[in-house]
Amino acid sequence: MINFNSLNIETVSMGIGVILFVLGVWGIVSQKNIIKIIISFTIVDTSIHLILVSIGYIRGKSAPIIDAAINKENAANEVVDPLPQALVLTAIVIGLGITALMLSYALRMYKENKSLDINKFKALKW
Amino acid sequence: MVSPISSIAVLLGSAFLVGLFKKTSYSFAQMLSLLAIAFPLFVSAQWLIHFIGTSDGAVMLYTAGAKPPFSVSLQIGMAEAFLTLAVNLLGLLSIIYLMKPFKELGVKALALLLILVMGLNVIILSRDIFNIFVFLEIASIALVGLILLGKRKHTYSAGFKYLIAVAIISSFLLVGIAFVYYFGSTLNIDDFVAQNLIVTKGLSTALFLLFIAVLLELKPFPANGWALDLYEAAHPGVGALISGGTATASLYVLYKILPMGADYWSDVLIWVGLISFLGSNILGISQKNANRLLGYSSIGQIGLLVAVIGFSDQLGSHFEAIFFSLFISHFLAKVGLFWLSGWVGKTELTAWSILRTKPWLLLVFGIFLFTLIGFPPFPSFFGKWQLIVDLASEHGFNWIVIILAGSLFEGIYLFRWLGYAIKGEKSTENKPLLDWQTALPIGLFALLIIGAGYVSNQWMPNGQSINLIPVFFILALFVLDFLPAWIKNTISIAGLVVYGYLLYPELSDDTLRLVFAVIFLGGGILTLIAGYSVKGKRAGFFPFALMMFAGLIGLVEADNLLQFFFAWELMTLGSYVLIIRGKRSMLHAYNYMLFSLGGAYLIFMGMAMATAGQSGISLEILRTTAFPGWTYALMAIGFLTKTAALGFHIWLPGAHAEAESDVSPMVSGILLKGGVFGLIVLFLAMGGEQAQANPLVYVLGWLGAITALIGNLIAVFQEDAKKLLAYSSIGNLGYVLFALAFMSNIGWMTAITYSLNHFLFKTLLFLAIGGVVLRVKTHNMHEMGGLIKQMPLSFIAVLIGIITLAGIPPLSGYAGKWLFYNAVIAQGWYFQGAIVFFAGTIAFLYCFKLIYAVFLGQPKDKFRQVKEAPVWYIIPQIILIIGIMVFSARPDLILKPVGELLSGSAYFPTDPLNWESVTASTNLGYWSGYKIMLVIGVMFMVLLGWLLLMSRKAQKIKQFDIVYAGETPFTPGTTHFSHNMFAPLYRAIGFLTLPMITQSWNRVNSTVHDFADSARKIYSGNGQSYLVQILAYVVIVYLILF
Amino acid sequence: MIRNSFLILLLAGLGWILFQEFDSFKGSDQLNPVAEYYATQGPQEVGAANLVTSVVVTYRGLDTLGEVTILFLTAAIVGLLFKRESNSETEDIYGTSEILLTAGKILVPMLILVGVYIFINGHLTPGGGFQGGAVLASAFVLAALTFSGTTVKHRVLEIVESFSGISFVLLGILGVVLAGGFLDNKIFSLGTFGHLFSAGAIPIIYSLVGLKVGSELSNIVLVMKSSEKGGDHD
Repeated sequence: MINFNSLNIETVSMGIGVILFVLGVWGIVSQKNIIKIIISFTIVDTSIHLILVSIGYIRGKSAPIIDAAINKENAANEVVDPLPQALVLTAIVIGLGITALMLSYALRMYKENKSLDINKFKALKW
Repeated sequence: MVSPISSIAVLLGSAFLVGLFKKTSYSFAQMLSLLAIAFPLFVSAQWLIHFIGTSDGAVMLYTAGAKPPFSVSLQIGMAEAFLTLAVNLLGLLSIIYLMKPFKELGVKALALLLILVMGLNVIILSRDIFNIFVFLEIASIALVGLILLGKRKHTYSAGFKYLIAVAIISSFLLVGIAFVYYFGSTLNIDDFVAQNLIVTKGLSTALFLLFIAVLLELKPFPANGWALDLYEAAHPGVGALISGGTATASLYVLYKILPMGADYWSDVLIWVGLISFLGSNILGISQKNANRLLGYSSIGQIGLLVAVIGFSDQLGSHFEAIFFSLFISHFLAKVGLFWLSGWVGKTELTAWSILRTKPWLLLVFGIFLFTLIGFPPFPSFFGKWQLIVDLASEHGFNWIVIILAGSLFEGIYLFRWLGYAIKGEKSTENKPLLDWQTALPIGLFALLIIGAGYVSNQWMPNGQSINLIPVFFILALFVLDFLPAWIKNTISIAGLVVYGYLLYPELSDDTLRLVFAVIFLGGGILTLIAGYSVKGKRAGFFPFALMMFAGLIGLVEADNLLQFFFAWELMTLGSYVLIIRGKRSMLHAYNYMLFSLGGAYLIFMGMAMATAGQSGISLEILRTTAFPGWTYALMAIGFLTKTAALGFHIWLPGAHAEAESDVSPMVSGILLKGGVFGLIVLFLAMGGEQAQANPLVYVLGWLGAITALIGNLIAVFQEDAKKLLAYSSIGNLGYVLFALAFMSNIGWMTAITYSLNHFLFKTLLFLAIGGVVLRVKTHNMHEMGGLIKQMPLSFIAVLIGIITLAGIPPLSGYAGKWLFYNAVIAQGWYFQGAIVFFAGTIAFLYCFKLIYAVFLGQPKDKFRQVKEAPVWYIIPQIILIIGIMVFSARPDLILKPVGELLSGSAYFPTDPLNWESVTASTNLGYWSGYKIMLVIGVMFMVLLGWLLLMSRKAQKIKQFDIVYAGETPFTPGTTHFSHNMFAPLYRAIGFLTLPMITQSWNRVNSTVHDFADSARKIYSGNGQSYLVQILAYVVIVYLILF
Repeated sequence: MIRNSFLILLLAGLGWILFQEFDSFKGSDQLNPVAEYYATQGPQEVGAANLVTSVVVTYRGLDTLGEVTILFLTAAIVGLLFKRESNSETEDIYGTSEILLTAGKILVPMLILVGVYIFINGHLTPGGGFQGGAVLASAFVLAALTFSGTTVKHRVLEIVESFSGISFVLLGILGVVLAGGFLDNKIFSLGTFGHLFSAGAIPIIYSLVGLKVGSELSNIVLVMKSSEKGGDHD
């Protein structure tokens, strides 16, 4: 039995991340429409961001910005890990780039074949 | 020294800058890009020279003014300097090579290439896994853009498949990195390794994701369909960047992260790598598209490199040299092949015959292919040698089998390809222009291979024991190839003479080796003399002829296994090219190469097993091998492929018969003795008379006997004069094998006599028949006939040749027979002896057919005006006849010292021949070549005189004086008596000559091809299936591991 | 059917692998040493109040340079993919709705303002170059959608893109010359902690990143948009 009281926010977001990852991959390998496949990729991307953020979370701590609320000297005990957040930023940008390229290629393929069914692009094989 | 970080900055800055240029100032942008890549090239070279010159360790480069693990850090050491040098050079040459496609696509494409090179540099230098991830993405994305260069059909879908594959792989990578950070609290590789973390379930799974993603970047078989499609669709210049550039960087990433993983990761890399190497090469067999084939080959080679990284612990201090030589071979040869493919333009393998319009490109193509397979003197030869020897010392025999099998499969498709290029049907289309942008990079890479071969040779343990003088001589001949043939011929002969002169003191007290040295060098000189009759340049002939002779003489000189194997492969390479020069030799040369390759790998395997557990690699260790059964059996089978024992003979008839007139004697009379010498070395190692108990020897004896019978029998039914001689060689070598298998003093004397005889008479016969063929332009004996008047000297040569062959007194063939009977009786192998005796009788039949059909009987009208064979063919024949006469009269000159050597040594002390001046005796009787010659000579003279006396009054009938009864036959050719001469015999025992062995080899061949053809259907072309394969690969490897 | 059950098995396998991680994930109660260093030393060394920014721009500046490069690559490739069509500008057949036009007039300047604010203050408040750049790009895209006559010139975007990229690289090199290494932000004085003009080169770098991201994202969208118009001709 899952004890809901012991569920932490990071466990929940991690769990959702993991589930989203599998769901995204399910979309990638089962959808036939190229656009849907690309959307599935963005779901996987999102799931990775969730996982990263969950990893960087420190229970009960605040955002890693030193301001009036957070003392500069005691910052180490008051903030969450800034590194995964930086990684998420990078990951988002990379994901954006790849998604844009996928869409562009898909558009190109559509113009060539008038189809977005991934099964229709099997000219190169064996 | 300039920091590599400035390379990164320069590349990136110029990429941003180049993107600004307009179309009108394209050439300026191009110049800027060239300079921008030249700078990091210079930086890498500077560091590499620094690290080679000093013994300094790697230098750490920090960014952001903070130390790792808090900031991203880079490291440059010897390996990084070398690898960045490689990718920067590739980048620079790619800009040159792709100049036109780049111009079509514009400045943005130049920026993409600069960024790709920058990315590869960072991947190689960086010590931070997340940073590596970011730049891996950069490299992948840049490639997605670059595939638009010189757009071909289906580029977009291939690009999309690549993108989604990269996306899913990087998802795994990123999740892996995230959890590595969670469990290891660091992203820095060195920091992670230093922490020595306790491996938990979570950590090992995180590392699994990291490793599997990096492995997937290297396109492991079978989760690599996306990469194959990309190779096929992309411009070959881009294929070169993928195969040489991104793969290089990813390989190094794998090497960097390896210490992070648990020990079992080494094994995973080995398995993943070797499965890729084997699987990819098998599936490549059925491939007909050149670019896709290069893809298969790339994946295979990279698999081997992955495995080598996995082996790094076992290889210890040899790892760097081995990895270097295998890596540089793949890098230079594969990139070069991609570039060549761009020049050829068409994708079908058969279209590569276009290379013949530019002979130097054909040579370069050969260099690339031989480098991939691992022939000397190219770097991969040394790498593979040391890799396998080192694996053997760890008893990793299964791995060796996989590596050699993969190499063999690779040979199957690469040599078929080479065959198409050298001998395939000429394409009728216009030849493509060769501009400097194409020629320069290809030529440079070919030269670099030669240089890398030298470096590998010097770097590898024992490599320096190899005598490189012949190799340099051959290289010089390549350079001098523009000279007319007669000058090169003189240089070649002079080279052999001088070499023999220098070698003689070394061998003068080892008669056994001396005999073979005489066969190899003397035979080489004699057959080269015949080459003076060829006019023109004879491009590419002499280097390869000399390569074969260098290999052969290298066998004699060899003291250690590496020298021996080096020489063996050199000989194979040279002879292959000689054989394929024949008009219809494509298939035969291919068969020859496959059997040679298979044989060489068996020998290699045997040698490797011999080195296991022993120190050093001297030939002596064959005697003390820990696995005598395997070592000797493998090596024996390997040598038998060269001596064309039954079962491995199917390459020989075509190869010998279709070769050029003066090449046939080289490959028959001389080359086959290479295999014999190999057997002698092996049997000597097996050690003398105690080996008689060895079942292997017994089997070989039987094999020799049957080979003698079948070879001779098939020879009888040939209509082609050269094929007849070729099959006869198979039979003759059967005798030699049989005699060697006695493993007794007198048996070996027989074998040596046979070998020497076979050299003398078969070279003589092939030269004589070759001279005839030159004049009458046909091989078919029934189209000849009555040539005795036109070619009396050739007739005499053939007559002497067949007398020797048939073993008729007084010539030396009889000596062989006499010794043979003695040996059979002493050994008690009566049944086998009877078979061989029967084979000897059959030899009479084809000897008769040869001389009758060619020189005697009814002449043909069209050959009334033919002249005697060229004088350059006659001269070596005369020398050989003199040789036969001398050996017939004074066999003791050679046999006595050989016998003393054998009986004086530990090998065969008992029952030697006893010599009294020129008379030899055993306990069965005595024989004197000199006296026999005298007696027969007197008898001959008396009979001849009597005949002349009696026939004084006989009416002389002119040769053409003939009347057909009735009418002139419609097809005189087929009514010629010598056509189908032994038809009754064929009806009786012809079933023995049915090509059953050829058929079974063909079945093997088609089975392998069918398998490859159906197995490669897994690459369905559907991008989604490729993703499923990647996913399945991840899951299955995980389930195997955990 | 077989394929589907095979897929389900594979996904179950994938789920099993990830479950191992989920199962081992226990969250954290305190910062690991690396993060602690960022929290304690970061403010002194880098001088940025936003610790994420100090990591993004300085400690892991090389990654950020890579990110910027990825955007540059993407924009360049999209440009190459739709090269031919971008010349054949045709009329906007849909026209612009009244709502969009009115909203655009108000929103575009405000979005630009917000975007610039976000990246200039990247070292102090949440956000930074990427976020600000994205807002900036949305302003341009909105402008392009709304005022079809006044599209932003590609050339201008390209120049901004390249200029900011090169400046970023040059600032990085200045770090080698003037400070502790490539991309070190201490080439300028760190200033007073928590003020706008502080944290050395970070505000400048982030502004460049913002400009670059803004121009690149706009470029990508605009190229795709123009291809949509003229695309059906080939």
